[in-house]
Amino acid sequence: MTTAASARMESRAPGAGDDILFRAEGLQKNFGGVQAVSDISLSIPAGVVFAVIGPNGAGKSTLLNLMSGLYQPDAGSMAFAGVDLIGMPAQRRVRYGLARTFQKIRLFKQLSVLENVIAGFHTHHDIPLWQYVFHGAAFRRDHGRCHAEAIDLLAFVGLKHRAQVTASALAYGEQRMLEIARALATAPRLLMVDEPAAGLNAAEVEALLGRIAELRGRGMTVVVVEHNMDLVMKIADRILVMDYGQYLFEGVPAEVQADSGVIAAYLGGELQ
Amino acid sequence: MLTVILQQGINGIVVGSLYVLVALGLTLIYGVLVQINFAHADFVTLGAFAAYFITHLLSGNYFAGIAVALVVGGVLGWLLNATIFAPLRERGNELLPLIATIGVSIMLQNAMLVLLGPIPYAFDTPYSNHVIRFAGLFFTVQSMLIIVMSTITIGILYAFMKFTFLGKALRAVSQDRETAGLMGINPNYVIMLTFVIASALAGMSGALLGPVLVLTPFAGTSVIVKAFAIVIIGGFGNVEGTIIAGLIVGLIESYTTQFLDPGLIDIVVFALLLLTLAVRPTGLIAERREENV
Amino acid sequence: MAAIAIGLLPMIFTDSYWQTNLIVCAINVLLAIGLDFVLGYAGQLNLGQSAFYGIGAYASTLLITQLGVPFWVAFVCGVLLAGVAGMLLSIFAVRLRGHYLAIASLGFAVITYQVLLNWISLTQGPLGIYAIAPPPPLAIPGMPAIAFSNLGNLFYLTAGFALLTYMLLDQLVRSPVGETLTAIREDEVSAASLGINCPKWKVFAFGISSAVAGAAGCFYASFVGTLVPDAFFITESFSILAMVIVGGMGTLIGPVLGAILLTVLPELLRSIGDLRLIVYGVSVTLVVLFMPGGMVQAARLVAERLRRRVAATPAKAKP
Repeated sequence: MTTAASARMESRAPGAGDDILFRAEGLQKNFGGVQAVSDISLSIPAGVVFAVIGPNGAGKSTLLNLMSGLYQPDAGSMAFAGVDLIGMPAQRRVRYGLARTFQKIRLFKQLSVLENVIAGFHTHHDIPLWQYVFHGAAFRRDHGRCHAEAIDLLAFVGLKHRAQVTASALAYGEQRMLEIARALATAPRLLMVDEPAAGLNAAEVEALLGRIAELRGRGMTVVVVEHNMDLVMKIADRILVMDYGQYLFEGVPAEVQADSGVIAAYLGGELQ
Repeated sequence: MLTVILQQGINGIVVGSLYVLVALGLTLIYGVLVQINFAHADFVTLGAFAAYFITHLLSGNYFAGIAVALVVGGVLGWLLNATIFAPLRERGNELLPLIATIGVSIMLQNAMLVLLGPIPYAFDTPYSNHVIRFAGLFFTVQSMLIIVMSTITIGILYAFMKFTFLGKALRAVSQDRETAGLMGINPNYVIMLTFVIASALAGMSGALLGPVLVLTPFAGTSVIVKAFAIVIIGGFGNVEGTIIAGLIVGLIESYTTQFLDPGLIDIVVFALLLLTLAVRPTGLIAERREENV
Repeated sequence: MAAIAIGLLPMIFTDSYWQTNLIVCAINVLLAIGLDFVLGYAGQLNLGQSAFYGIGAYASTLLITQLGVPFWVAFVCGVLLAGVAGMLLSIFAVRLRGHYLAIASLGFAVITYQVLLNWISLTQGPLGIYAIAPPPPLAIPGMPAIAFSNLGNLFYLTAGFALLTYMLLDQLVRSPVGETLTAIREDEVSAASLGINCPKWKVFAFGISSAVAGAAGCFYASFVGTLVPDAFFITESFSILAMVIVGGMGTLIGPVLGAILLTVLPELLRSIGDLRLIVYGVSVTLVVLFMPGGMVQAARLVAERLRRRVAATPAKAKP
């Protein structure tokens, strides 16, 4: 990552550790009679990898959608770095530093890999209005900067050599990494990844874990939604376990592994 | 005054039930395919002309004309699906099939214009001039026929959707195509069937409409624009909503004609449409649906 | 380069029939690139262009004939009015998916046509407005005034404006604005996850697109001399759509080519006059099915094949 981009990211991170970056209390979400999320509260400190796990249908993705603003909760409160999120539409949250990827990959299929990432710079352009039509010096500078930073992000996820390829032509694992690169282009303080390992082979999962660890090392907060317990044990600092939309347990990996409620929920599942 | 209101009420229901038949076809297609067939209007027109030819040029029975129109519609629907919707489904682009149907619609309309000319055809059936009087109200037997046939057809369709296997398969595909496929239903077959049924409905409504409307190559267009409005107001893919909305629009039309100005009909209907879109885009009668991410 | 072509054309085609066609061509080019901006780039199927075309034409004409407003002031007003109308329609339809928007815009076009037809006290209805003057002569110091009653000069004006609009739109599209619009076209949900305010940008695209159509309308009125509502029936929207699709949507140059082709071709094949619209319908359907990128895609394929043949020839030439 270029020094400029890292500097942007680090200067927005309050410093890993004690500050609570994301706080939610009593979140509820109903869908036509089904309680997808029921009275969920969480506190995510800055600079950690926070995982949300649970069996399929536990409401993890719904929780992520509530956090990112795709859905509004029926009840409860949410705040990010002290800013109240209730009622705030999804695209505004990006400007405060919230980014996400999607469980069902949503790339800009007809655009190239590079163009996908550049689209992520939307909130960071530095061009006077008139130069959008009459491309002057500031326009060229911004264009060059975005291009360079995009290449760096692609290098970070290992896709630099595929920059000109049309996004729809990428392999599945590459598409997932591209989504992450694109989300990183928004220079977030908190990145949410929804089931990032789904469909990846072992090597790709390792690479993914490596990138997430690297991001944490640079001060970013990462929220990972997963149902693969194995993966989460390797990377997470704190884990929230959900089942049937409800809070089941929260703690560090060792505590989670030992808890009987968690084991019961995963009986016959992936718990080693 | 009361007589006038009742009279126009009946006219409204007659026109409304025809609109319902046309709109049902659209809503069925949207339900399974999430696509709009812009050429639906022209199926209506073609149905009307087919019935016209059978009854007038071949001196056939009016009911035979309706039957032929039904078949013509069905065949056209099958053709459209086979040539356009099925091949384009792979591409996954939402807009392309819509644009293709616009192309087909332009083609059909202007081909009819060239072959049949813009001058209206007089489509008389033995029933359209037969007037009944009842309690100071006028009906033509034709309008009675329309109401009866529409009701029967809608009833059959409703029963079909609710009680037969194919009907349930249709509803399954419209709710979740992939899962329906996993349950042993062939979505492509169901989609084709839906097209045939929907277009046959269009053809039949054309045959019923012919004597009532001005029969030109553009006859379908005058109806289709309102049919779209009905489908939106009632909720795309929602059969009950479409029926209610269709009758409402029919009533609006006849009351506007009576108390305001016929030229304002389109404006009133569309104002209602735009209002619906502003307030409740999924339809005044339908439920809200959240998009699955 | 295009400027040179524009400059030469009226000298080649000196008879008024062809000059008329060239002007119509230029107007259609304007309409087509306007639609492409909102359809090809922002992905919004706007079937209401006929309405904005008509609003521009009637608004500017009425300002000139009823209130004596100078031509260019009325022009600007017509463009602004059309643009605002487009934005209002878009605000209504902003949360709708493609199909709802298509129908809502079609509905708007129908209403506008009905209003133009029925509000006789304002628009004279089907009788139309007569004797509309062409733009006033342009006086440049040191040269004789350029009279626009001369068709050749009028062509320079319209084509010049079309070229200018094309260049402006092209620059816009090559900027982050273009990136934003294509993101919205491809996937609104993930565009929002990147901070893009989709409703705001859709309204913007609509506004630009309808303003351009309004400008075309203003030129049309001053060119044709007689303004009737029938020129703005909804089939006009479909014709413009055909030009964009056949040319290649989302490329800006494609619609230019499509507009030129679909304006000129029916004139060349004049014997099939009535079949013009059938040709439109057939070409749209075929293009969508087999060559969705339109003429631009076809040209690229041809260029690709030529390039390969040229590269292969040296090897073949060796004994």
